[in-house]
Amino acid sequence: MRIKLKQNSALKGGGLAAAKGRFVLGITIPLLLYVSLSIFVLGWALLLVFFEYSPVRRGGPFLGLGGSNPFVGLGNFVEMVKGTSIEAHLFRTSLKNTLIFAFVVLPLNLTITLPLAWMLESIGQRFKTMFRTIYFMPVLTSSVGVALIWMSLYHPQSGWINEIIRFFGGTPKAWLSDPTAGFMGVSVSMWGVIFAYLWQDYGFNVVIFIAALQGVPKMLREAAVIDGANHWQTFSKIMVPLIRPALLFVCVMTMLSSFQVFDIIQVMTDGGPSYNTQVLVLDIYKNAFRYHRMGWAAAESLVLVLIVMSITIFQMRVLRTKWEY
Amino acid sequence: MDISTLSKDTTTKLTKPRRFSLKIRQGRWLIYLILILGLSFTLLPFLMMILSSFKTNLELLRIPPTFWPEKFTLQNYIEIFNDPDLPLMRFYGNSAFVAFFNVTSTLFTSSLIGYMFAKFEFPGKKILFGLFLTMMMIPMQITMIPSYLILAKIGLINSLWGLVVFSAVDAFGIFLMRQFCETIPNDLMDAARIDGASEWKVYWKIVLPQLGAPLATLGILGFMFSWNAYLWPMIVLQKVEVRTLPVILTWFNSAHTGQTALVMAATVLIILPILVVFVYFQKWIVQGFTMSGLK
Repeated sequence: MRIKLKQNSALKGGGLAAAKGRFVLGITIPLLLYVSLSIFVLGWALLLVFFEYSPVRRGGPFLGLGGSNPFVGLGNFVEMVKGTSIEAHLFRTSLKNTLIFAFVVLPLNLTITLPLAWMLESIGQRFKTMFRTIYFMPVLTSSVGVALIWMSLYHPQSGWINEIIRFFGGTPKAWLSDPTAGFMGVSVSMWGVIFAYLWQDYGFNVVIFIAALQGVPKMLREAAVIDGANHWQTFSKIMVPLIRPALLFVCVMTMLSSFQVFDIIQVMTDGGPSYNTQVLVLDIYKNAFRYHRMGWAAAESLVLVLIVMSITIFQMRVLRTKWEY
Repeated sequence: MDISTLSKDTTTKLTKPRRFSLKIRQGRWLIYLILILGLSFTLLPFLMMILSSFKTNLELLRIPPTFWPEKFTLQNYIEIFNDPDLPLMRFYGNSAFVAFFNVTSTLFTSSLIGYMFAKFEFPGKKILFGLFLTMMMIPMQITMIPSYLILAKIGLINSLWGLVVFSAVDAFGIFLMRQFCETIPNDLMDAARIDGASEWKVYWKIVLPQLGAPLATLGILGFMFSWNAYLWPMIVLQKVEVRTLPVILTWFNSAHTGQTALVMAATVLIILPILVVFVYFQKWIVQGFTMSGLK
């Protein structure tokens, strides 16, 4: 704050306004360029959707579209819905797997994190910080690392998961490579990646829930206790309704991130065995960057983005309700 | 004053009858038991990783598996450090390079743009802000294909700068900074202006120092995301020697299938630094995540 006092012109109103204007222009012009670049990139992606585009072919003059990268109109989407090609089948499998993944992860995650946060809330500050720190560690671990750790735990012969199963007298499984075995209609390889994902992800929601629970005034809980409510009643009848915004936020965030799951699955199974864990982003990645079917991949990503955006809009709508206590 | 303290005293006496506190104490045991179970669920995989990295590969393949290493060996680490195909320092350097430029550019753009949106009035401000946030919220899965094609055109494939250019502006950061800038009193800036400071100087000398806490939070979060990023670096960095740590870790894994002990040692080396950073800065990080969650 040591600024030399100058006899200067900025004091005169006009000069100050001009200086402010120059400052704003100096920021908004690069910003506008950046925004137009993003619009251009998005527009390009939306164009690709209508073409059978591959970067290895030399197409027309405009962005390589046309020519040997022909315009197919809505062909890509029609193919997705009722095509019989391998790509179309794989797209539908990936969509189904993504839905399974997201809808198994969400309830499991909530049944672990919400009670855990509630319990953490009720213990002393010192322990709380320690527990929270440890629960949060996997969130910050690189997903590749998480995938490799769990691959060693799932190892069919020497992994600890199978050792525990053997200890309880069960039959060990080839968790990540058995294409046929399943449990409750979901393949074991899918369960495998789901558990690894849950392990990495649950600390995040615990932290959000703790913050939300701390925001609820103590007197409300005390009032319930005075009225004779037990632990379970205070939790389900008082706390859960009061932290509804956080609950909704967590649901939506968990949904969004599980729709976009990629890292863990790519490392652990790469979509196998027999496409049991092929999810959308993985399918998009493979099509675009391994098989160079970028038009098709762009169309797939548009489907994914529409799903993700509608979840986000839903969240904004619901969360906009103001809460007061 | 007297009356209020008195009534407070009576309520505390009323709310804590003997029977109730006893009930809580019984429940405590169960709560701690469950919390500790959760704790072991979180810690055991890490512990397994560390223990495995000190075993020989032969011991790792044994059934039933051993818990403690039978013969504690540093062989895996020695092998990694002496592997000519794996110049670890270079990959740490790559990751650090990308993280450094990502974090500094995001901190600069977020604070500057956030400050502008908070404290300046100009025509079209609302539209620009709305447009900007919408553009930034579009998931990267759809823009990743054209972005890759652009990088290929301008020759930034296999260049670490390719990871920096597209993440120089961050919507969440701008949002956060705008909120914090709104709390800075205008008088502070006006005083500097009267003293003859230019607008850039006001930003640099007055506004930035006020933003210390949110900048630190944003910086640490940005560092974590950049350090752990996987999909985009994998697409952009196709040559081995320019890769960042997560990408090199998968490469190392597929190059050494079956040698779990070795892979675990590499994993330890790659994820340990970030965990140390976390334990050191945990207050800031947790705070940052909570802020991102409950705006």
